[in-house]
Amino acid sequence: MKTILSLSISVLVFLISLLPLEAVAHGERAQMPQLRMRTVHWLDVKVSTAKLAVNEVITVKGQFMPSKYWPHHVNSIEDTAYLNIGVPGPSFVRLDSRVNGVPMIRSTSFHYGELYDFEVTMKARKPGRYHVHPVINVKGTGPIIGPGIWVEVTGSFADFENSTTTLLGKKIDLETYGFSNVVFWSALWFSVGLAWFIYWLTKCPIIVPRFKAAQELGTKADEMITVWDRRIAGSFLLLTLSLIAGGYLYAQEQYPITTPLQTGRVDVPAVERAPNPVSVKLIEARYRIPGRSFRLEVEVTNRGDAPITVGEFAAGNLRFINSAVLKVKPLDEHDLVAPDALRVEGGPVAPGETKRLVLYADDAMWETERMTTMISSPDAVVAGLLHFYTDTGQRYLVEFGGPMIPVFG
Amino acid sequence: MSKSSQAVSSSIPGMSTSAEQRKAYIQVDLLAIPLVVLLFAGIFSFHFALLVGDWDYWVDWRDRRWWPLVTPLAITVLPAVFSYVLWDKLRLPLGGTLTILCLTLAAWISRYLNFHLFADFPMNFVWPSTYIGLGLILDCLLLLTRSFFWTGLFGGFAVGAFMYPLNWSMLAPFQVPVEMHGTMLTVADTLGYEYIRTAIPEYVRIIEESTLRTFGAAVTPLTAVFAGFLNILNYWFWLWIGYLGTKAIWIRKIV
Repeated sequence: MKTILSLSISVLVFLISLLPLEAVAHGERAQMPQLRMRTVHWLDVKVSTAKLAVNEVITVKGQFMPSKYWPHHVNSIEDTAYLNIGVPGPSFVRLDSRVNGVPMIRSTSFHYGELYDFEVTMKARKPGRYHVHPVINVKGTGPIIGPGIWVEVTGSFADFENSTTTLLGKKIDLETYGFSNVVFWSALWFSVGLAWFIYWLTKCPIIVPRFKAAQELGTKADEMITVWDRRIAGSFLLLTLSLIAGGYLYAQEQYPITTPLQTGRVDVPAVERAPNPVSVKLIEARYRIPGRSFRLEVEVTNRGDAPITVGEFAAGNLRFINSAVLKVKPLDEHDLVAPDALRVEGGPVAPGETKRLVLYADDAMWETERMTTMISSPDAVVAGLLHFYTDTGQRYLVEFGGPMIPVFG
Repeated sequence: MSKSSQAVSSSIPGMSTSAEQRKAYIQVDLLAIPLVVLLFAGIFSFHFALLVGDWDYWVDWRDRRWWPLVTPLAITVLPAVFSYVLWDKLRLPLGGTLTILCLTLAAWISRYLNFHLFADFPMNFVWPSTYIGLGLILDCLLLLTRSFFWTGLFGGFAVGAFMYPLNWSMLAPFQVPVEMHGTMLTVADTLGYEYIRTAIPEYVRIIEESTLRTFGAAVTPLTAVFAGFLNILNYWFWLWIGYLGTKAIWIRKIV
């Protein structure tokens, strides 16, 4: 009875493991808060559609800004970086990816404080519901994950098509190209290797008798090798060398024009942007752990010609919105936006004025997105992006950063 | 009286005829050989994943500088160790071919189940390279020369030198040039770009990163010859490890 029960449980567990489970995240919450807050600020990330069919195209676009407060103990984005996309495996194929209009097929580097426009174009490959994130991989640091947006792909995987044309003018199906050739050569080699193994198996029993014989013969154990063994070995050696040479010459004849794998770096020129008339100096940042409340005191200087108000505070992909200035609706249930969680004391900053503002970003997202572990940071420095707005809707982005003091009581 | 029913003058208890003895020996083979195959497949897969890994997982990693150098050095380890054991104890020239056959079998199962069915990568992007020919060279040379020295000298060199040409028949179609957004790529690079790997950015590939640039475009032959020379010593070293293994006290207690 016990055996039947344990067998049933095992079968049940196995069957449950086969159920198609939804991939809900890419570990963004697992990343240390200081990495999320002080590496890359993502903004205005949007997808062209939240629902599409297999073979249809989707665009993920937005902007990002490498932080000027990049941690010194983390490898820099100014060395080597790569614009990537976070999806569960190749559920999409990437057709194009660009930063400031430059193709991002190869790796590059990005500069602190610079605002970049990115756009990734993909074709849906496999039906499912996916959390799509822009990602920047930084060499020696790892992936810096942007905000995720749910996208649903409908249709049939079997209908997916993906082809390209080589520089020699041949149209190829990238899903299957070259594989039948791989199977042929792999099967051929496997057969030859197996034949060699089987030849020795025909001498079975081979383990005990040969062990005893080798022990008894001692230094004369080579006498166990027969003339026929040598002939077979010679034939196999000849066959092997012939196949290697023949396969090489065949490939050279079939594919006379090949190039080595391509690599290298590309440069992304900065986009000319209007000068920013707003500057911010962090006076004090305190995070009150029991209240999940972030209090910022900043000194804002407005050199523009219109009054400005803080509409948004963004840090570590969390967005805290001042609903008096900005109306934001979450794109889906996992959009990390708190539409009414930013309280600003101090009022608008008039043109030519320098003023202290106090901001309160209070929301459970600090806890649910595991940002509270920022108190474990090795240097206790935080950074974020403030979005200032004029009455006409003109937006100015200013990054601030500095030491953070936790409040435990 | 037939030969099979002749009395056995051995001290093995419970065996009175050579037929019974033969039957027992066959049972040993039937038990041990499948276990050895599983053992080789398991340890070689683990070993190869640690030392070669992505070079063998992805077609856009198989470059002309590092792949032909790293792979022969890694592929030689277990064939050399088990060549010594199987040759010294059983006079069986199977250490090279059998270990690599087992690796190949495990690699195909893993690529199909893990990379293709589970992770959805197309098989033409994740097929395993072939190394069986290299194992055959080692085994045949060992049998013909009956010398570890000459097998290391010629076989070890051949493993390093022939790894690239052995695989070129499968790899060449993937190094045909393609244009993408004004950039020249190979088909392999195109697969690597289009079939998204979130955790494997372009810069992670260790390609074109070495100093063997003296002979213009002849990078691969130069790397192959260098790998060959290095692999002679590599083969001998791992033979010595095999020798130490057979001398280990725990082995002697078992046999």
